[in-house]
Amino acid sequence: MTLKTYFSNIFSTIRSLLKGMRRTGYYFTHHKEIITQQYPEYKPPLPERFRGEVVMPHNADNEHKCTGCTACELACPNGTIKIVTKQEINAAGKKKKALDTFVYHLELCTMCNLCIVACPTDAIEMAQSFEHSVFDRNSLIKTLNEPGSKLEEGIE
Amino acid sequence: MALFLEFVIAGLLCIGLFAILGLVLVLMERKVSAYMQIRLGPNRVGPKGALQTLADTLKLLSKEGLTPRGADRFLFNLAPFVAMIGTMLLLAPIPFAKGFQLWDINIGVLYISAVSSLAVISILLAGWASNNKYSLLGAMRSGAQIVSYELSAGLSIIAIVVLTGSLSISDIIASQADGWWIFKGHLPVWIAFVTFIIAVTAETNRAPFDLAEAESELTAGFHTEYSGMKFALFFLAEYINIFIVCAIGAILFFGGWMPFHIGNWEGFNRIMDYIPSSVWFFGKTFFLIFVIMWFRWTFPRLRIDQLLNLEWKYLLPISMVNVLLITLVAILGWHF
Amino acid sequence: MTASTVIFYILSAFAIANGFLAVTTRKIFRAAIFLLFSLIGVAGLYLWMSYEFIFAVQVIVYVGGIVVLIIFSIFLTQQAGEDMPMVLRGRQLFAGLASLAGFILAWLLVRDYPFAELRGTSSGEAPIAEIGTKMLDTGTGGMALPFEVVSILLLSAMVGCIVIALKTRKA
Repeated sequence: MTLKTYFSNIFSTIRSLLKGMRRTGYYFTHHKEIITQQYPEYKPPLPERFRGEVVMPHNADNEHKCTGCTACELACPNGTIKIVTKQEINAAGKKKKALDTFVYHLELCTMCNLCIVACPTDAIEMAQSFEHSVFDRNSLIKTLNEPGSKLEEGIE
Repeated sequence: MALFLEFVIAGLLCIGLFAILGLVLVLMERKVSAYMQIRLGPNRVGPKGALQTLADTLKLLSKEGLTPRGADRFLFNLAPFVAMIGTMLLLAPIPFAKGFQLWDINIGVLYISAVSSLAVISILLAGWASNNKYSLLGAMRSGAQIVSYELSAGLSIIAIVVLTGSLSISDIIASQADGWWIFKGHLPVWIAFVTFIIAVTAETNRAPFDLAEAESELTAGFHTEYSGMKFALFFLAEYINIFIVCAIGAILFFGGWMPFHIGNWEGFNRIMDYIPSSVWFFGKTFFLIFVIMWFRWTFPRLRIDQLLNLEWKYLLPISMVNVLLITLVAILGWHF
Repeated sequence: MTASTVIFYILSAFAIANGFLAVTTRKIFRAAIFLLFSLIGVAGLYLWMSYEFIFAVQVIVYVGGIVVLIIFSIFLTQQAGEDMPMVLRGRQLFAGLASLAGFILAWLLVRDYPFAELRGTSSGEAPIAEIGTKMLDTGTGGMALPFEVVSILLLSAMVGCIVIALKTRKA
């Protein structure tokens, strides 16, 4: 190492260090660029395809579209969904399988969307809610169909 | 009796200063780092997050102090106290304002550089007693680092001692009544100042020289095994050490509590004298602390070989030549 | 008994107790730490006599230098935390005899030294500037020759280190 490179090393090092300090100094004095989002007060808009949890939409008459076919249960890779069916006698007097309870284990769900794809009647969909933390694990086991709800007319 | 009362008051003030400085500096560090990284930093506890460190302290107080199995129990518990006592001793000769100094010892800066070598003992103690290989590695690194950077820190202190002709801190400040050394001393003093800042950053184990506690490689180095209040003592000692080295830097190069004077502008100097000397002292010290924090949040960590290269191939030769230059300046009276 | 005397006895007891612990403990790292405390106790005695320069030098050289060096060599050579083997009985006996002889010698010296006459004659520590001037003074009472001899000793030690360090590289 010659004396010349020794000193040019020192000066180039100091220059590059000062360059870095200018950048952080700029950020320190310019607060407009702060990218932190104040979460509970300000909730950022979620992308359209964000998947938070599985829900079953009901219409105004407390009717859902689930026939209890268990296609979603079979499609689920984690065993998140358990469907309990019951025998029901419909208007025509025929015995028919119908949905009793749609049990959804949120704590097992990976939001993979396979159940929604598998559903033949579009009875379930993904919601955008994501604040799922609770104190008891049991409250993550949810029943998706509302009490007393029925199958919508014309869905087979 | 009066002497005893004086002791008690001084002791209480020291402990109070410790606690307040710890809280303020940690908060400052977190805020500075946040703004430099385009973040907001703590802003929930108290107005603008001002009470965050108080909450942290409460958390640390309520935590369990563990001692790992196979650790040397006596030395393990001793180490944080050695760190703390070493730091407390350093407060003695620092003048916080005009005539406000615990102990105006006539070897001031020598005392500082002597007692600050206790810090390395506490780190080596902690590293060995933890019975943990990360701690031991961290302690070894930090020992090598502190021992080597003490040289150039000492040499840059000597530069100012040569100009002043005294080791006493009050003499050093008095010599800067007509202008701080950083303005009076030309380029050599600037070189000494830059060397000093780099060396003390390394001596206090701060980034970019934080190899001793590199979180990502050594999981916090020598204080890996410490928890609760024992960890808090190390943490506090580290921050107070930063304050002390910055105070020394302010005393040596920026005139301590001396107000800013320009030649013979009587009016301007008069106005500067109205600002209390303690404000001058703390202003300069906190400016230097800010610079050191600025380093930390800008530069990446050095490797151990780069660290030792920097000291032995660059800082030490440069500061040795610089001491010669300063001596020349002092003998020929080239400074103002 | 004044407060000053009390402080003297506390410091001396601290230094002696730690010195004793340093030689009796079976853990080598603890021995180094007790040695450190013993040296700090001695430094405290210098401070008690208000010889501040000597105090600072004692702390820099022993605490910052020698003990750190000892600790480093322990780190690099010893097994962690294991007890040292008990010293042979014969060696213990002779070590005890040697320290007894040393103690008797020191005690005889202290007993015959005219402390009482010197009390009050010393005016405390010389100014630092005077120490510095004396260190490089070539006249009577000057320390230039010992100073340079020590420098040459250190220089030769450094050259030796470099030679040893270079040798391993070649092989």
